[in-house]
Amino acid sequence: MIEDIFRAARSVCDDAEVLLVKSESISADLKQDKIAIGSRSQGSGLIIRVIKDGRIGVSCTDNPVTWERCLSAAVASTIFADPIDWKGLPSPASLDQKPLACDDRVHPGPGLVRDLVERMKAGSETYPAEITSGSASVAVSESILANSRGIRYESKESQVHVSLEMIAGQSTGYESDTSWNLDRINPEKTGEMASFFASKGQKGEEIRTGTYDVILSPVAFSQLLDAAVVPALSGRNVHTGRSFFADKIGSSVAGAKISLVDDPFDPRGLANCAWDGEGLPVRRIPYISGGVLRSFAYDLRTAYRYHETPTASAVRTGQSGAPAIGNHNLVLEGPEMEVFKEKGLYVHDLIGAHTANPLSGDFSVELSSPFFVGDGDFQSPVRTGMISANIFDILHRIDGCSAETRTLGCMILPSVRLSGLSVIGRG
Amino acid sequence: MTVSYRYYDIRRVIGEVTQIDVDNGRVEQAGSSLYDKTVIRVLGDCGWGVLSVSGEEIDMDNPPCHLIDEAAEASQVTNVSIDISVSPTGMHAVPQVHENPADVSLEEKVSLLLDLDKSAQGRDIVSRRINYIEKDEQVLFSDSSGSRYSYNLCRCGFSVMAVASRGGMVQMGYERDHTISGLNIRHRQDLASQAAGRACQLLDASPAKGGTMKAVLDPELAGVFAHEAVGHASEGDLVKEGCSVLKGRMHSLIGSQFLTIADDPSLPEFGFCPVDDEGSATKRTEIIKNGILHAYLHSKETMHSVGDGDTGHCRGMPGVDPIVRMSNTFVENGDATYDEIISECRNGILLKGSRGGQVDPGRGMFQFNAEYGYLIEDGELSTMVRDVSLSGEILQTLHTITLIGNDLALHPGYCGKGGQAVPVTDGSPHLLLDKAVVGGSDID
Repeated sequence: MIEDIFRAARSVCDDAEVLLVKSESISADLKQDKIAIGSRSQGSGLIIRVIKDGRIGVSCTDNPVTWERCLSAAVASTIFADPIDWKGLPSPASLDQKPLACDDRVHPGPGLVRDLVERMKAGSETYPAEITSGSASVAVSESILANSRGIRYESKESQVHVSLEMIAGQSTGYESDTSWNLDRINPEKTGEMASFFASKGQKGEEIRTGTYDVILSPVAFSQLLDAAVVPALSGRNVHTGRSFFADKIGSSVAGAKISLVDDPFDPRGLANCAWDGEGLPVRRIPYISGGVLRSFAYDLRTAYRYHETPTASAVRTGQSGAPAIGNHNLVLEGPEMEVFKEKGLYVHDLIGAHTANPLSGDFSVELSSPFFVGDGDFQSPVRTGMISANIFDILHRIDGCSAETRTLGCMILPSVRLSGLSVIGRG
Repeated sequence: MTVSYRYYDIRRVIGEVTQIDVDNGRVEQAGSSLYDKTVIRVLGDCGWGVLSVSGEEIDMDNPPCHLIDEAAEASQVTNVSIDISVSPTGMHAVPQVHENPADVSLEEKVSLLLDLDKSAQGRDIVSRRINYIEKDEQVLFSDSSGSRYSYNLCRCGFSVMAVASRGGMVQMGYERDHTISGLNIRHRQDLASQAAGRACQLLDASPAKGGTMKAVLDPELAGVFAHEAVGHASEGDLVKEGCSVLKGRMHSLIGSQFLTIADDPSLPEFGFCPVDDEGSATKRTEIIKNGILHAYLHSKETMHSVGDGDTGHCRGMPGVDPIVRMSNTFVENGDATYDEIISECRNGILLKGSRGGQVDPGRGMFQFNAEYGYLIEDGELSTMVRDVSLSGEILQTLHTITLIGNDLALHPGYCGKGGQAVPVTDGSPHLLLDKAVVGGSDID
């Protein structure tokens, strides 16, 4: 079929690209402590992108048999697109096509999800709390990325995911874990930590309004980075006046010991692949080194439009499945320290981080599962509180990072200790 | 059939989505994609089995046995017995549109959006982005009890973002409108200008000072409050799971005696559901009536296990099993005028527009962010402020509503519960809250 598409495309466009994906998944959903829903999913997706006279058109369908209609829609969508100085889709590169995120032991069967659920429930008995909901899921997918320049890259991926939400009194705890590798998923720990936050979060005291040293968990930190820092690194936002970082290449944008890189081959990654969503060989992108802003992310379209060098930063997300600028494994590194050693306010999660101002980075959000910490451990729960700060300013306030990291989507992050943040209390 | 079942339903959605992206006057994307997604739910011996497939031609009059079998097999992993209520059936007619978006060429739509882009230009404006989305869907449903329905519904809408910059300061203005009433991008230059004007005004706005104070919520933000703080906590699945502070409070006074909050999927607004996604008839449900918790929102399953409320509130994205959701959620009008509310506030803050919100219904905490606000001093609006948010405890906050306006307005948007984005409308008149916890970058 792929060759048929290219044959048909040849007469109507200059360049063509096909992404064909097949996926299968199974999941078990807990309602309270019982499995109430078992789900299976089988799907396929065909995304066709064509370029004609520098105008890009794209269309997708979940029924590959209808590829002719999809191709017509892609060609039709070139008509109104603003032309760019198109320099071509990538040609084949000499790269190892061995899957980097596929565990052959992962099969979407009921036995595996049942086992994951039972292991998570066993962990949840560590602290007294009730399960409200949770899930375990297993997915496998196969994809072929091909283009009219001769690329034919085939890939396989696996993914295992668990999540659990618990409650004790009016204290809630949520945890999750995702991996492509069965040896790296830890459902027991997920259950244990959900029960910890629910159980130990009870009877928290109100915090007094003031300035505190704050430790953001990788979960909380990832939400803030996602809200403003990640968009600010996008080359498209840089060139269209929507990035805080636009005029700051070579400037200090973080503490002197902070680095932020996209490392596609970091072994902690969830979906590593040797090529990006457009078939370019991926490479390490040092966005911030020693606190100084060094580079931005570009896909082909943006690089060609603004005469920049593509950074192989295209990912496939969103409804259309069209390539867009993203990250593979965004890794933050800084000076290691025991982040719980000195007294501080630990914030496990945030309510409403997505409401931050994506341009200025200003935010004020409600805390979830906050605790006072000190002497290397959790000390006492805090009932409620609101934290107000600026995400870009936070990058300058990182005193240290935990040695332990978590992989959350396309981010690999430590807990970070920040000095002097405003916290609004109700006490 | 090789696997036994007690009930099944099948929902197939065949759709076409058209998206146009105009970025700083350049058309980055203008085209359409196709989807055909089916979800089959089977109630097996214990719980639900769900099968999602895409791109398959499903005959709704003769549903394929092998797919029902596969869904039934998926239920074998369950270990709790689930029962469902029999719910009222029936379907509301889909309202006529004033101009069918499908009848307007892509070329004309692009031209209209480029006009909007021009209206978003101005001094200090450094970036504009206009997005248009149109989803034309045919929804087909059948279940094992013989219910059948089908309807076509087109939802469309656009957003305008303008970014202003001066002296190193960057601010954003954002406007949007989504509808089921037909093409809505003609003669909307005023909205684009407003987005640009707001972005410029915010360059001169002061950072908000956080703390506990009196707050007036405008209809858009108060609508988000109704959705986040009350609507989610009234969803029957969360009540059943023990993850709602409204559990066990039916028929008790939980807020101001003047407060009535309803969810009405039958209302022909953006969250309109002619029938819900498990075949139940839709109608208005009064969640809170005169301050008293009156009803939960339900699916057939949660109606059976929890009770106290109405079915007709079960919704899902195409290809995904439906869950209990809101649709058109709003605070009913009170009798206070806007001027009375500002005057009564005396000293506090007016919060306007919404950048969204989130709730932890089990803990009873909510947070949402206004796009901007004004300080209220001596009963009058004074300084414009930016980056201001509101958070609080649901039960406590509902009692702090001291005045309810008479100017109910509805605003369309999307809700993302359970990773499923569904169209909704939120609305309210102006509300005056006593002792609201307002977040801002300055503190005393």
